[in-house]
Amino acid sequence: MLILKRNAIFVLMGIELMLNAANLNLIAFSRQDTTNQGLLLGIFVLVVGVCEMAVALALVIQAYRQFQHIDLGRFKSRN
Amino acid sequence: MTPLMLSFLALVGITCGSALVMLWTKNILHAALAMFMTMLGLAGLYVLAYADVMAVSHLMIYVGGVLILILFGIMLTNQNSRGDKDQNNLVTEESSRVWPVLIGLAIFVGLVFILARGNFSGVEIADPNSKLSFVGISLLTEYAMPFELVGIYLLIALIGSTYIAKHHD
Repeated sequence: MLILKRNAIFVLMGIELMLNAANLNLIAFSRQDTTNQGLLLGIFVLVVGVCEMAVALALVIQAYRQFQHIDLGRFKSRN
Repeated sequence: MTPLMLSFLALVGITCGSALVMLWTKNILHAALAMFMTMLGLAGLYVLAYADVMAVSHLMIYVGGVLILILFGIMLTNQNSRGDKDQNNLVTEESSRVWPVLIGLAIFVGLVFILARGNFSGVEIADPNSKLSFVGISLLTEYAMPFELVGIYLLIALIGSTYIAKHHD
């Protein structure tokens, strides 16, 4: 999804999906753990993922204002 | 086949199936709907892992917050480039499918190889009670410092994203 799609929002959704997969691993392995460290780390991962999503969507909207598209294959560097 | 196993298989089917739909479709609204189904399945899997707190907060944050943010992003960056004004044209472009499939398969096979070699002996019996009071107590005693830090981080990220998203002239 990160490599396949060319829309920036699609790529963000792919990042979010991978983050959730890693988080599911943390929770699932913390099931057999009596100290539950994976559960608490998973809660912090959730908050960090939300922060990342907010900042990334703000960046996407600003890039759309600048270039009138968010097609990742059409961004060119300026040099 | 116990009911627990059956519900686990059903939830895995929902989660992986809608993740694959999300990967396959080209319409970005269909992908948002599939992401909603993926998040529902993930919350069910959290419940099956005896992490009820995590399931409820995941539902609230992802279905109520992140998905709405993504829908706003889709609407604000909708580009009607195909020309036909009559229908909602939310179809996006893709690069070639060969390399992503190869890279994804390579990562998947590598992860399966590593996990199959792992030695998972000595697992303990999980306790099926609710972990709500445990999470509350340990967030305010043992993990108080990361809890405060994550609060400050959330505040910084929100202020920063509103500053980034405003009109710069």
